[in-house]
Amino acid sequence: MEPIKTEIVVVGGGPGGYAAAFYAADKGKKVILVEREKRLGGVCLNCGCIPSKALLHATDLIREMEASNERGIVFGQPKINLGKLRAWKNSIVEKLAQGLAGLCEKRGVEFLQGRGHFEDSQSLRVETSQGQKFISYEKAIIAVGSRPALPAAFDLGNKRVMTSTEALELEEIPKNLLVVGGGYIGMELGTVYATLGSNVVVTEALPSILTGVDSDLARPVMRYAEKAFKEVRLNTKVGKMATSGKQIKVTLSANGKQKDETYDRVLVSVGRLPNCKDLGLENTKAALDDKGFIQVNYQMQTSDPAIYAIGDVVGGALLAHKASKEARVAVEAILGESSSFENVVIPAVVFTDPEVAWCGLTEAEAKQKGVQVQVARFPWAASGRAMTLDRPDGLTKLIIEPESERILGVGIVGARAGELISEGVLAVEMGATARDLAESVHPHPTLSETLMEAAEVFYGYPTHTFAQKKRTPLP
Amino acid sequence: MDVRVPRLAEGVESATVANILVSAGDRIEKDQVILELETEKAVGPIPSPAAGQVAKIHVKPGDEVNVGQPLITLTQEGAVEKAPPAEKKAPPAGEPKTTRQAPAPEPQKLAQAAEIQPSQYQYESASGFPLPASPSVRKIARELGIDLARVKGTERGGRIGVGDLKSYVEQLQRRAAAPALEKPAAAAPTSVDFSRWGVVTKKPLSSLRRTIGQRMVESWSTIPHVTQFEEVDITNVTKLRKEYGPSWAKKGKHLTLTPFVLKAVVAALKKYPVFNSSLDETTGEVVFKNYFHIGVAVDTEAGLIVPVLRDVDKKRLADLSQELNDLVERTRKRKVSLEELQGGSFTISNQGGIGGGHFTPIINKPEVAVLGIGRSTLKPVVKDGKIEARPMLPVCLSYDHRVMDGADAVRFMTDLVGMLENFPEQELKG
Repeated sequence: MEPIKTEIVVVGGGPGGYAAAFYAADKGKKVILVEREKRLGGVCLNCGCIPSKALLHATDLIREMEASNERGIVFGQPKINLGKLRAWKNSIVEKLAQGLAGLCEKRGVEFLQGRGHFEDSQSLRVETSQGQKFISYEKAIIAVGSRPALPAAFDLGNKRVMTSTEALELEEIPKNLLVVGGGYIGMELGTVYATLGSNVVVTEALPSILTGVDSDLARPVMRYAEKAFKEVRLNTKVGKMATSGKQIKVTLSANGKQKDETYDRVLVSVGRLPNCKDLGLENTKAALDDKGFIQVNYQMQTSDPAIYAIGDVVGGALLAHKASKEARVAVEAILGESSSFENVVIPAVVFTDPEVAWCGLTEAEAKQKGVQVQVARFPWAASGRAMTLDRPDGLTKLIIEPESERILGVGIVGARAGELISEGVLAVEMGATARDLAESVHPHPTLSETLMEAAEVFYGYPTHTFAQKKRTPLP
Repeated sequence: MDVRVPRLAEGVESATVANILVSAGDRIEKDQVILELETEKAVGPIPSPAAGQVAKIHVKPGDEVNVGQPLITLTQEGAVEKAPPAEKKAPPAGEPKTTRQAPAPEPQKLAQAAEIQPSQYQYESASGFPLPASPSVRKIARELGIDLARVKGTERGGRIGVGDLKSYVEQLQRRAAAPALEKPAAAAPTSVDFSRWGVVTKKPLSSLRRTIGQRMVESWSTIPHVTQFEEVDITNVTKLRKEYGPSWAKKGKHLTLTPFVLKAVVAALKKYPVFNSSLDETTGEVVFKNYFHIGVAVDTEAGLIVPVLRDVDKKRLADLSQELNDLVERTRKRKVSLEELQGGSFTISNQGGIGGGHFTPIINKPEVAVLGIGRSTLKPVVKDGKIEARPMLPVCLSYDHRVMDGADAVRFMTDLVGMLENFPEQELKG
């Protein structure tokens, strides 16, 4: 069979893959986008970021309603029509996916549904519903993403043991739900189910939830979880699971003691694994690192000069926006432009209640690496806007290099922290100093003021809180 | 559209124009080689990204060019010209336009020039965090091939602005224009008129030969070479080749001696990592490599080229054999990429195919050792008190005496000989 010739083939249609395909097409390249699912968008759109945020927003009203009762506007008990909620969520996914399909067509990117398999460094075999097709390409970009890890001991073939994918399907509201793993996925989906009425128990093998997040930023989330969840059990391991009638029997161990409990459903959120298998990488020169991710350089090029890889499959932070940035770098590198993923600031947001967001250097990292930094904190209890929103449970902090007053990192916990962090990204990327932030007027009353006031705390002259120490001005 | 100097390879920012294969007015095809660029390692062909007519050639042989610099201008007919992707928007206000026409000299040269300047600046980070500059300034610097760590930022917090970059570039140009402080030259070469004694013909050295020459002089004059000689009884390897050769040949694989040597060398390198190191002459550090990329000297029509086999330790003998044959084949046709010529940690030079006994190979700097192999011959060997005819293979190891001593070399060679004489059959299976 005569292979289809193309300049660039992109394997995987998630936020990395479609961004790469669109950008390359915009730059005048002939592009084929191979995706195994019928719909573009990958995990992010179909069973990740988008549906989870839809459900968090929908349930936020219930959480807000409970707070409202305290403020004197009292609502009755909400009635939950699960079918309608699911349909609303699905409609968002569908609309966005249609949008992507339209953008694909407009750019002349050829969409090929099927599984891609590398035959060698220059050719890809695609298993489509109409049989095999062969693509002969100049450059390939792998963006096949990752999937939820489901350890063999938990894989009972029972739909009551869910990963995030199934949990987002919202088949039912279980009376008792066990969430294994207190990372961001477990905490976000735990919040959704707890608000919908499940008794949620979260277990975490490590001593804190949201590992990797600075402890002062994780604390308000923990406080919420302690109140809204039935229980958060730290230092607790889940040994095995077994089907027990219409329930799941789970063996938990903590402090050297074991006990069995039964749950109606279990959500396993213990991490994600790269989709490197069955790609035919062994037929190319691309190599994997010791964790099973594809090895790439700063231009996103694998050890095979014709093949680039981006997104979750190359490891690092498994985030959609990281994949999209890497897509740009890879395409520019292919075009021979100067582009590099070196020193790119990648923000992270956890959409719990309250939200947590950070970028650049974290306080924990600074401590671990022995970097001398000064941390300026502004508590939201001192923010007028936070008070009017009835959300004083927040904190904004800046991680500052004392010698230059440069902002190396920003961390925020609080309502809408995800929307606030972008200013921090700009500050860190621009090499801004705390003075730059303090001197830029922020509108009152907004939550964004907390960034300016944190910078003022650094100098010792905040308006809405009191700082003991005054900083000696730089020479 | 302009055809510009592409990214040549990791860490290679500049090259010299070796040959120009087209002339102004020529009609050329897409992928037709327009010129050859020579980096410190090799000569690489630059294919045209599109078909068209050569409107202008911006460079001449011998020119030093940087990544992103225009080489030729191509007029494309018929097709509507797309906005060329490499064409950047007009540089931001303040950026000197002159840098486009006369690109800044390559960073290394600048660094050398800067050494003689009292005000040599190098950014030092208090936090270990990368230097402060906005993404747009960093992008311009990347395009111009400028190391921002040498640019002093004058904005608050030491941040580098476009203005800082501009004054740095201007400074460089002034410096480049100033008469260079050359090292005192060695005795000036003199020309001898050989035609006084008979008829002669003259042919210029090819650029590849010049590159080889420069590198040999550099290695020979800076590294104290010592060469260790040994002989290996390859009865066992010969037997294995006879045993496995025919079945491999049916699969189209040619089982030569070199893959055996590659495997044995890697085993010895693992045991004696100093032979897989480099000496950083600027810091006085020995850099040990945790990878085993082995260069293999290939005799081509144009001269010696050394392509590199990656991760030899991780590959099966069968795969290695095939990869080697493919690499040698492509090298002879000069179809290897620049990337494939870089990153070697040790080199093997097998002359056995042509003949050869012991010789003294020159180290492929910045490596610290090289293994030479001659042709095996039957020699009388005393075994268990009796004289037997055995195929003996001459091997010779040149090493950098600054980094290791004779005792290290003897240990390395003893292990290498031992492994080759008792080559594990297991390696050929599976």
